[in-house]
Amino acid sequence: MNGELIVFVILFLITISGALFMLNLSKVVHMVMALVLTFLGIAGLYVTLAAEFVAVVQILIYSGAITIIMLFGIMLTKHSDEEKKTSFAKKGIVLSGIAIFFLIMFSAIQNLSLGSQATTLHENNTEQIGIMLFTEYVIPFELVSVVLLVALVGAVILAKRDDAKEGE
Amino acid sequence: MGYVWLIPVLPLLSFLIILFTRPVIYKKAGIVGTLFSGAAFVGSLIVLFSHFQEGNYLVEANWLSIDAITLTVGFEVNPLNALMLVIVTLVSFLVHMYSIGYMEDDERIATFFAYLGLFTFSMTALVMSPNLLQIYFFWELVGVCSFLLVGFYFYKPEAKAAAKKAFIVTRIGDVGLLVAIFLLYWQAGTLELDGIFSAAESGAITPTMITIIAILIFVGAVGKSGQFPLHTWLPDAMEGPTPVSALIHAATMVAAGVYLVAVMFPLFLASEAAMTTVAITGGVTAIFAATIALVQNDIKRILAYSTISQLGYMMLALGTAGYTAAVFHLTTHAFFKALLFLAAGSVIHAAHEQNILKLGGLGKKLKGTALLFLLGSLALSGFPLFSGFFSKDEILASAFSDERYILFGLALFTAFLTSFYMFRLYFLVFAGEGKGGAKESPRTMLIPMAVLAVLAVFSGFIQTHWFGTFLGDWLETTPYPVIFSSVEAPLWIPILASALSIGGIALAWLMYVKQSVPHNWLYGSIKEVHQVLDRKYYIDEIYQGVFVKGLFVFSYFWSYFDRFIVEGTAAAMRGVVTQLGKTGVKVQSGQVQTYGAVAFSGLVIVLLVIAALGGYFQ
Amino acid sequence: MSSIPLSAYLVTALLLFCMGLYGALTKRNAVIVLISIELMLNAVNINLVAFAKYGVGASIRGQVFSLFTITVAAAEAAVGLAILIALYRNRGTVNVDEMNTLKK
Repeated sequence: MNGELIVFVILFLITISGALFMLNLSKVVHMVMALVLTFLGIAGLYVTLAAEFVAVVQILIYSGAITIIMLFGIMLTKHSDEEKKTSFAKKGIVLSGIAIFFLIMFSAIQNLSLGSQATTLHENNTEQIGIMLFTEYVIPFELVSVVLLVALVGAVILAKRDDAKEGE
Repeated sequence: MGYVWLIPVLPLLSFLIILFTRPVIYKKAGIVGTLFSGAAFVGSLIVLFSHFQEGNYLVEANWLSIDAITLTVGFEVNPLNALMLVIVTLVSFLVHMYSIGYMEDDERIATFFAYLGLFTFSMTALVMSPNLLQIYFFWELVGVCSFLLVGFYFYKPEAKAAAKKAFIVTRIGDVGLLVAIFLLYWQAGTLELDGIFSAAESGAITPTMITIIAILIFVGAVGKSGQFPLHTWLPDAMEGPTPVSALIHAATMVAAGVYLVAVMFPLFLASEAAMTTVAITGGVTAIFAATIALVQNDIKRILAYSTISQLGYMMLALGTAGYTAAVFHLTTHAFFKALLFLAAGSVIHAAHEQNILKLGGLGKKLKGTALLFLLGSLALSGFPLFSGFFSKDEILASAFSDERYILFGLALFTAFLTSFYMFRLYFLVFAGEGKGGAKESPRTMLIPMAVLAVLAVFSGFIQTHWFGTFLGDWLETTPYPVIFSSVEAPLWIPILASALSIGGIALAWLMYVKQSVPHNWLYGSIKEVHQVLDRKYYIDEIYQGVFVKGLFVFSYFWSYFDRFIVEGTAAAMRGVVTQLGKTGVKVQSGQVQTYGAVAFSGLVIVLLVIAALGGYFQ
Repeated sequence: MSSIPLSAYLVTALLLFCMGLYGALTKRNAVIVLISIELMLNAVNINLVAFAKYGVGASIRGQVFSLFTITVAAAEAAVGLAILIALYRNRGTVNVDEMNTLKK
């Protein structure tokens, strides 16, 4: 068992346990915190996959921005402390469906190996991504910026208190 | 001849004009209707006379073609048609004129004339039809007119019931005719008369089938002509206005049954059984209705039973191969029976009473009407040298020469009964002391009656074995294969018939004028018979008991079947659908998570199927 | 050369995806549902990055794709929360099973 595998197993455990906590904790804020754990674990997995830049972005965006947005969302709305229980039957049905899905997928991918590996990804990883983004993917990149802008404006409009209407 | 189609169109125009200008035209409707029907009559006369010179005429056009089926419409003029045209338009014209006076106080006079126009249109078109489909079409149309006119006083419950009865009972016969038409089309492949007859002649239709078809056609004729056992509607139809009784229920529509059998005569000739059926039905109906007429007290009902009886005579003539005799009697009967009805109408108009026991002595007040009624009665009774005498002789001779002696005897006895009940009626109404006042009818009513009286007296001379058989010779020019048996009656038949006729008159005179024979000697001796006759052989009661009650029982059964089984099934289906719907509503909960779960389970199922079929694991 | 097999990453992603799906379908709190969806997107991202290293014709493109996904996920989270807040203002709840109409 080499060091790489040990690192992977640790990151795997962090990721999965974070997700499990998220599903099983009862307080909403705790759930979000458990999720941060998962996001960090995933960032670690990215590093083992030679994607340092993506790992950093993951931490910045997910563990930072999205988690904060979620926390704001939680604080702006009222939550009963206890998450209300969903009916057992519904849970069972969904769970069994997901289990079947998992088994089928698992049997499909358990021995999947495509043979080749990329070996130069870690060399100037950020530079490579930058070149790719600003050459080949420059139009999607610009479009994504539009998407972000639209999302920004949309979010503001949606969340804005509709004072004029209420005044009538 | 080419303009022969105008004859039915004229009354149709009259109908339409009066119908659409009803509020404006009001009382003048009678004049309009009379003018149009008069024009139709003139046209018929022209057609009749041009037929003497030009012979038969037939024009046909394709009406519709469906694949191999081609239906035609057209008009035909042959001796029978031309004669019927003249009879129908003449009686129609006279009745129109008569109705101007008779109906003058009625508020719905315009509607009445519109119906008369429609009827005249249907009837003239019926007698000119060269194929069975067209005949059937107009056959139903005259039935509708009869329904409308019988129910003209629809605010009287009896009239309403009578109209329904007339419609339904004749419909029973019409079903027979319709089935016969289907069978004929199936067997002969055509509905045109000449096609049918040539198919029958060439043996394309089996003898059994011919018999079945002929009898079914006869069933239609039985319904329309009020023959036993479908006669019950005709006496009740007297609830309609009297001119209608004269036109539809004496002279024309009821004769349509006889006309139909005459038209299809070649088919009947081909089947001995059908001929026997016709003859027996006719003979039985003749005496049956005559016996009922003996004891009736309503002036119009007596005439109605007399009509049934006379139509029976015609059927008897047809059944004994007396084609000429039947058509001859149809003609003379149309004149004198229309006359009698119109005269009866005149009496009713004057005295406002229909029960002959409450009438009497009207001969002094209604001199004209009394004379005309007497002439009509003499003609109907077969008094020597009147029209009925010749035509009845013709029928008796035909029955005798066909060797149906029992029917011959019945017919002779019926002749005696006929003269007796007619003069019982005449003497009770017109002889004796006056009871209540009455005023003679206006001239518009008397003139048509006078015209009919002349015809009733003299029309017999168109066919006698003494002067010449004009009618018979002329009818022989028909385009269809009718066999004419020229019958020379033995001399004793007319003498016996005259004796019976005069005997009946004499008996009536003795009973009701001299009163040397008490009124009730028959009644007193055999009460039960009188009772049976008075109740019209209980036919109505039997029908009520057997068919109506039976139908009720049958209907109740199906009503309960419907209520519990059919509706139960329907309710069950509804319940299932409701439950499905409620389930559907539950599914449509608006819960996005449920939707997602369902969509996801769909994906899982698809994946499962792929995996089970091997998928990419192969 | 890495000694960890591709399927290890794929199974990790699969597990995350299934848990995210379970959360999205069963949790009643709208915020948690949103978070669960983020989890599913992350599972996809892991796959993208894994294939960038192990896939046929492996290259940096997979990582670029995952960047785009992250961007869109961020936008989605922002808009989703905005909708959530608007809904909360109108209906006074964040329970998903009470949000069953498209209008007020």
